[in-house]
Amino acid sequence: MAYLCTKFSPMKRVYQVAGHRFAVVMPDNHLAWSEMKPYEPFLTDNDSDLVFSAEMIDVMPDTTDKQKVTVSCEGPDMPRVELYDWQGQWLLEIAPLLEAPVRAYLITDKSFHMCQFRILGSMRFSLNTIIMLMFAFTTAQKDTLLMHSSVTVKGGRAYLFLGKSGTGKSTHSQLWLDNIEGCELLNDDNPVLRVMDDGSVHVFGSPWSGKTACYRNVDYPVGAIVDLHQAKVNSIRRQSLLEAYVSLYVSYSGYRFIKEMADGLHVSAEKIVGTVPCYTLDCLPNADAACLCYNTVAQ
Amino acid sequence: MKTKKGFVLRSLGREFILVAEGLEAADVNKLISMNESAAFLWKSVEGKEFDANTLIALLMEEYGITREVAEKDVTSLLETWKRADIIN
Repeated sequence: MAYLCTKFSPMKRVYQVAGHRFAVVMPDNHLAWSEMKPYEPFLTDNDSDLVFSAEMIDVMPDTTDKQKVTVSCEGPDMPRVELYDWQGQWLLEIAPLLEAPVRAYLITDKSFHMCQFRILGSMRFSLNTIIMLMFAFTTAQKDTLLMHSSVTVKGGRAYLFLGKSGTGKSTHSQLWLDNIEGCELLNDDNPVLRVMDDGSVHVFGSPWSGKTACYRNVDYPVGAIVDLHQAKVNSIRRQSLLEAYVSLYVSYSGYRFIKEMADGLHVSAEKIVGTVPCYTLDCLPNADAACLCYNTVAQ
Repeated sequence: MKTKKGFVLRSLGREFILVAEGLEAADVNKLISMNESAAFLWKSVEGKEFDANTLIALLMEEYGITREVAEKDVTSLLETWKRADIIN
């Protein structure tokens, strides 16, 4: 009888990102594990104090009595996430594009500690979206922001480049790497900002780095945050507290209609803009922009 | 008139910012900065029916200013709020 039990035994792996541990549980022979390579630098043996545990399921329960709450999608080429209330839990239906069919389902209790997910396709996208959403939800009240940004390190300090999709965050990081000696990329899409116990602000690498394979389990104190805007002439200026707050506000993840989450995100953002110098950089995609930026923010 | 639903007033250092956080808000990336007196008035009338006179009376009482000064402030504030589409 033993073989019946061992054929599809579940395997649990625990990862630690920005000091927060979470578990992923899937059948040990499942192909999805091959898409979890970017997470391997973040593996840990310590499975205490998990912020969440995500378990893959084969069969979806009947959710026809779901009630739609909201849909989020930032543009036709961006992922679509539909949120439903289903029997006192959240149900999320996830698609890679605005008009694409649903490729993944996520069911979670409203405190977000336990979730189950079912993946129909777009395996890497689906896994990443589920895990990133759960990470953002469960760390919102823990001085943590999952920031849409590209991060370059120079002289022991990290510099975050923000901007709407297509502004040139990755390009600007690359310009630093090409034109300023001793720079290295920390993350190219979704690093994690965290206010530390001593009040300092650090940025952590993550398994989520967009199109660039840069999955580094390291962290650095933040030297500056720079909001990029495309322009015909390069110029840079320091932001007011309010401007910095707005730049951050549109760059981090979370459901703000859930009050505890919105409150937590606000507390983190307020601490960060009060601590880290923030700038607006109007720029061309050229070496001068990188040098102007570096010479201003790294002083 | 009434304040629109879905907004939350947040403090930021000594400044205030009105943020569209609710599901009812049409534009989730809408943020409106407010000074201390505007924030005080918003908090006082949030979710209630009010008119210019309500705000004028609140300002006069809170800051001990004349009706004339309060009227001027409220007229310009209401224009700002209408333009920002946060009252109806």
